[in-house]
Amino acid sequence: MKLLIKKVLIADKKSPFSGLTKDILVIDGKISLISDEITSPADETIETEGLIISQGWVDVFTDFADPGYEYRESLESGAAAALAGGFSHVFVLPNTKPAIQNKPQVSYIIEKAKQLPVAVYPIGAVSKNLEGKDLAEMYEMQQAGAIAFSDGTHPLQSSGLLLKALQYIIAFDGTIIQVPVDKSIGAFGLMTEGVVSTQLGLPGSPALSETLIIKRDLDLLRYTNSKLHITGISTAESVALIAAAKAEGLSVSCSVTPYHLFFCDEDMVSYDTNLKVTPPLRNRKDMLALREAVIDGTVDCITSHHLPQNWDSKTCEFEYAAQGMIGLQTSFAVVNNLFSDLSTDRLADLFSNNARELFNIPSNNIEVGSEADFTLFTKNGNHVFTKAANKSKSVNSAFFDVPLAGSVVGVYTKGKWNKN
Amino acid sequence: MKLSTKHLLGIKDLTKEDIQLILSTASDFKDVLQRPVKKVPSLRDVTIVNLFYENSTRTRMSFELAEKRLSADTLNFAASSSSAAKGETLLDTVQNILSMKVDMIVMRHSASGAPHFLSKQIDAAIINAGDGINEHPTQALLDAFSMQEKFGSLEGLKVAIIGDIMHSRVALSNIYLLKKMGAEVMVAGPPTLIPKYIKEALNVRVEYNVKNALQWCDVANVLRIQLERQSQPLFSSLREYNLAYGISRKLLDSIGKEITIMHPGPINRGVELDSDVADGSNSIILNQVENGVAVRMAALYLLRPQNN
Repeated sequence: MKLLIKKVLIADKKSPFSGLTKDILVIDGKISLISDEITSPADETIETEGLIISQGWVDVFTDFADPGYEYRESLESGAAAALAGGFSHVFVLPNTKPAIQNKPQVSYIIEKAKQLPVAVYPIGAVSKNLEGKDLAEMYEMQQAGAIAFSDGTHPLQSSGLLLKALQYIIAFDGTIIQVPVDKSIGAFGLMTEGVVSTQLGLPGSPALSETLIIKRDLDLLRYTNSKLHITGISTAESVALIAAAKAEGLSVSCSVTPYHLFFCDEDMVSYDTNLKVTPPLRNRKDMLALREAVIDGTVDCITSHHLPQNWDSKTCEFEYAAQGMIGLQTSFAVVNNLFSDLSTDRLADLFSNNARELFNIPSNNIEVGSEADFTLFTKNGNHVFTKAANKSKSVNSAFFDVPLAGSVVGVYTKGKWNKN
Repeated sequence: MKLSTKHLLGIKDLTKEDIQLILSTASDFKDVLQRPVKKVPSLRDVTIVNLFYENSTRTRMSFELAEKRLSADTLNFAASSSSAAKGETLLDTVQNILSMKVDMIVMRHSASGAPHFLSKQIDAAIINAGDGINEHPTQALLDAFSMQEKFGSLEGLKVAIIGDIMHSRVALSNIYLLKKMGAEVMVAGPPTLIPKYIKEALNVRVEYNVKNALQWCDVANVLRIQLERQSQPLFSSLREYNLAYGISRKLLDSIGKEITIMHPGPINRGVELDSDVADGSNSIILNQVENGVAVRMAALYLLRPQNN
């Protein structure tokens, strides 16, 4: 199969064609020619105004709820959503039933993922049954294909266990992923504590519950000299703490979600259960600090925290509503909408290059001879996410029918071109 | 005359004119309640369900009485003895009730925002009879009515709300209402029971010393310690709470001025309020209860189906 891509800007710093606009010819899953103008006939030609190419995008924190909660999502529906959102690689959470906590569970995902259009990597549990008490068999899970380790939506609370886990994974160059939430502070909080929570009469959870655990995790990281990725950071102080730790030379990285960049607590006045997320949406100052951190490079990756919930668990009283939002299909458009001036190189770093580097995913740079593993997208044009276009089994998104910008034209991965 | 809202979800959504309209309508109904025949036909053929997902004595009876005085047909629902105990969702329960041609809903729920959620799903008018730690609008209205009755106006009145502010929907609704009507508000209690951002959020004074609060105020609205809503240690013991924040005759005598005492009930006697204060001459606690019926009649009347 021959795919010809016309006049595409190459957003790949490591490509010899970085920053140039070229024609690219892909034949049977390999980039076979990059040139100013290619006229040879092709099975399909892509020619779109403002077309950009980068390595295939990576999302390091998504919940496909499979096995156990297939009514919310399955590996198949999750992969379809990922593909539509421009992602060729996704990491899936271990918060399944049974939890991904041993080799057979890892193998289940790996085997099933072979049939899927995108690469799906299991994140193995750090603790047995995600209980935060005893270490799970991380070495064997890593051998079987686990990409990283995390208790996912149940962040590790025990300092002692995290210390041991950070030490344990050094032997096989593992990485721990933590959502920064101290569950003992504001344990009954339903949103971030502040002026808005007071006005809404909703129990608050202070930003302190995040910064305190980041401080602790960084101390443990300093002590162990291991690798830690903090995902879903939401406060201005978190950004400052991580920036300082990076400057100090610790192996820490972080990601933010599109919804923490787009919304803040002021958007919760209608008790919209789709905005009930963990960590909670913070105040405007925090949101602006996160945006700044995306621009200045403190943030390494954008991750959707794609967390599907069925209709019933969101169409109910706010207090009883489940946490989380789906996000794979709106991740790029939300970020692109907020940061129209962000360079294409920075976009490629945030959506692909940094995650590949942090989690040792092989690069497939945009150069002749490379395996075709890329995302084609545009920054201009309007994008509206509709229920009809939704590929997830769940509909818990606050971005339906919100005018956004930019679109994913398609993804070439696993030897196949998938046009949106 | 109409309210600016379709539902009464909270004082937060009301304008000053709405509040004045409810209070003046309540005043008319209070006159009706003094007559030998206390019933008016205003809500004849209107069916109202009292949907109580949380226990209540005073509020439920007050609403029921208000509905009966207005000649409405009433239906009572208590979550503990219904299908909710079998796991039926709020939305299912309400849609089932509405399919039996019920026109209005009076609702109490332990989750903040529950009536707001429901208002987005159904058409019937909803009156919030208390949602979690958010609002209890009819309580604030009857408190305002009682204060206005005693002082003539709320403008410039100094009201201290004392006790568990954090877990109190009465506090939040009272603050919204009093601020809108030009009163000055202070909240007082132990720091663990006062929201950290309340000063910025609601523009009220904050005091941790109850004597200072009493010295400042004209009215002390004393709140109940919400033992059932506290799932973590927020003060050491009821005994110590009474020592530090309980209002006794002796304390009131020591400040040398007359203060009107209010309480939304039920009172924990000997905890937040000593009996001789609760039953004393400056207490208007039972007036509050009496006025509750008139205020709720006004709210129901103004939100009746034909008026929406």
